[in-house]
Amino acid sequence: MDKMILSKSDFPKVITEIIKKNNVYAPVKNNDTIIFDQIKKPSEMNLDFCNSKVPPKKLLFHQTETLFKFTPGTKAKIESVDINENNVIFGIRPCDAKSLAILDHAFQGDFEDPYFLKRRKNTILIGLSCNKPELNCFCTSFDDSPASSKYVDILFTDIGDKYYVEIKNDKGKQLTKNISNLLKPATENDTKKRKEVEQKAINMISRHQKTEGIAYKLDKIFENPYWKKVAFKCVGCGTCTYLCPTCHCFDIQDETTLTKGARVRVWDTCMNPEYTLQASGYNPRPARTNRVRNRVYHKYNYYPKNYDVIACVGCGRCIDLCPVNIDIIDVVTRAGEVKP
Amino acid sequence: MVDEKRLRDEVKKTISRDDVKYVVGYEKGTYGFQATPCFAYKPEDADKFIFSPLCVHNLAVFPMLEEKPPLRKGEEPDTRKIGVVVKGCDSRAIVQIIQEKGLDREKVVIIGIPCTGVIDPKKIKDKFPGHIKNVEVKDEDDKFIITVDGKTQKIPKEELMPDKCKTCEYPTPVLYDILIGKEIKSTKKEGYDEVASFEKKSLKDRWDYWEKQFEKCIRCYACRNACPLCYCKECMVDQLNPQWVRRSVNLSENTAWNLLRAFHLAGRCIGCGQCERACPMDIPLMKLNKKIEKEIKEMFEYIPGINAEEKPLLAMFKPDDPEEFIL
Repeated sequence: MDKMILSKSDFPKVITEIIKKNNVYAPVKNNDTIIFDQIKKPSEMNLDFCNSKVPPKKLLFHQTETLFKFTPGTKAKIESVDINENNVIFGIRPCDAKSLAILDHAFQGDFEDPYFLKRRKNTILIGLSCNKPELNCFCTSFDDSPASSKYVDILFTDIGDKYYVEIKNDKGKQLTKNISNLLKPATENDTKKRKEVEQKAINMISRHQKTEGIAYKLDKIFENPYWKKVAFKCVGCGTCTYLCPTCHCFDIQDETTLTKGARVRVWDTCMNPEYTLQASGYNPRPARTNRVRNRVYHKYNYYPKNYDVIACVGCGRCIDLCPVNIDIIDVVTRAGEVKP
Repeated sequence: MVDEKRLRDEVKKTISRDDVKYVVGYEKGTYGFQATPCFAYKPEDADKFIFSPLCVHNLAVFPMLEEKPPLRKGEEPDTRKIGVVVKGCDSRAIVQIIQEKGLDREKVVIIGIPCTGVIDPKKIKDKFPGHIKNVEVKDEDDKFIITVDGKTQKIPKEELMPDKCKTCEYPTPVLYDILIGKEIKSTKKEGYDEVASFEKKSLKDRWDYWEKQFEKCIRCYACRNACPLCYCKECMVDQLNPQWVRRSVNLSENTAWNLLRAFHLAGRCIGCGQCERACPMDIPLMKLNKKIEKEIKEMFEYIPGINAEEKPLLAMFKPDDPEEFIL
């Protein structure tokens, strides 16, 4: 791993250089809302944020993805969709980067998903350490750090007047080849400063979730009335799942006109009554209780059992944006205390 | 300030009745400036009930969200009443639903609270960013008294109230069984100033504005689900055959959804602002609702959610109704 320093005045040059050969996605402001969008010049970015509203998973696992196009009728023609872009995501937070590694399990499990995986292969992640975690951030509950470089190709850390740049692998090296003249090797003092910044951020995190043995515990309380209590105030919207960086359920639909059609994949949410509704009319999750419980079990029971990792990264979006304050930190911590 | 002890006592009394299933009210939330809906099934559950300017939710949504699973053989339906704690605006939602025969007046016990204005969650988050542990919020005349981690501040209500409270004409519930505290008369007037100034913009500017807003929409339907008046058994956007709105999330379908939602609430929206509050993408949905509300008020002199005996706007006809818009 290369540890380098980039002065803030040279930073726009770096981004401009990367934009020349890649589609660069970065946090931008639409009215007051921070979202990831493609940028054409560095000044479009807005780095004064904790986390974007919609997680950057949307750049690899599109909310609406055309799988292929076709012409309806007896002489049907099928046209595949080409995914061949070189993408760079700048400013992805370590928690969101981890979520992509979690999604890898689902998309390359029993079936390989060419859409996600191709994009994943063609995407370089430039992380940006989170120096100001907000109230509902809890990444440290999963032994992670707001300045973790584990899941990115390059990590930027703002250490005051300059960026501390960690180039993790060949993908990162390749990308920075043209700008190596702007990067200087980091001194010991810089490394110390980076550690201080990280520690400061870790200390800011005030909320923690108790996840010890949770997968095992959940096995015992599946039918517990606790879930009814949790679900009672749920209004059944899809905010928590759509804005979750690890939720990945989808629905497939054919959208046609008289002359053309497309098979599209769209995000689905387990909060939707239609979710898992079978053609027979039977629904294994008929009530909100079943669906709210499914969200928790998917993350804290099924995923750890299947892939040995909890499918939550502690970004806090579902807590921040739930209209009725269903708080996953609280829900899981209290589930741990429920008597089976 | 609302007498919370009296509120708890009344909730206890209500839930002790044989003909009441549960009462829905508010309790303290899990972090920062949060209050959250809570349910009392037993008298002691009422001990956690609170009321403060943080109680922003319209609880009238809960009787409408109640799931009625198919009954087992020999099982009787539970026909007991539901108790709901309501503010002025919330009560109007109940009135409107009763008017539309979506809810039977006899099936709800309305515990009314004369409201002196709530706090907009987005505004207070901007005012007090960062890590907050202990919060206490009270109100006094035209100020909110906010204590954060031991430090108290008085902030003018104008600064933190959502727009709906600034022009609220019905602070006292228009329909109730029990009223906690004294009736409040409003001196405020809904002048539709924001709508009027927005109307002055050119068509292109308005369209550009809404395009930018609807582009953000992720179609989570939080606006619909938080709305007490969106209680169709099957929402038109969920229907598959025919599929009125496609599942694709793009500007065209998003615009269709957002406009359909607003129009479906024409003459029904009582302006509680839950849609806008619940929207995770900060889309100013109340601007659409208020525009329609204004048109209806001007054309038909009709205000929804005031009188449960009245017919809904779209179910009545007067010979002198204006008809200039009919081509």
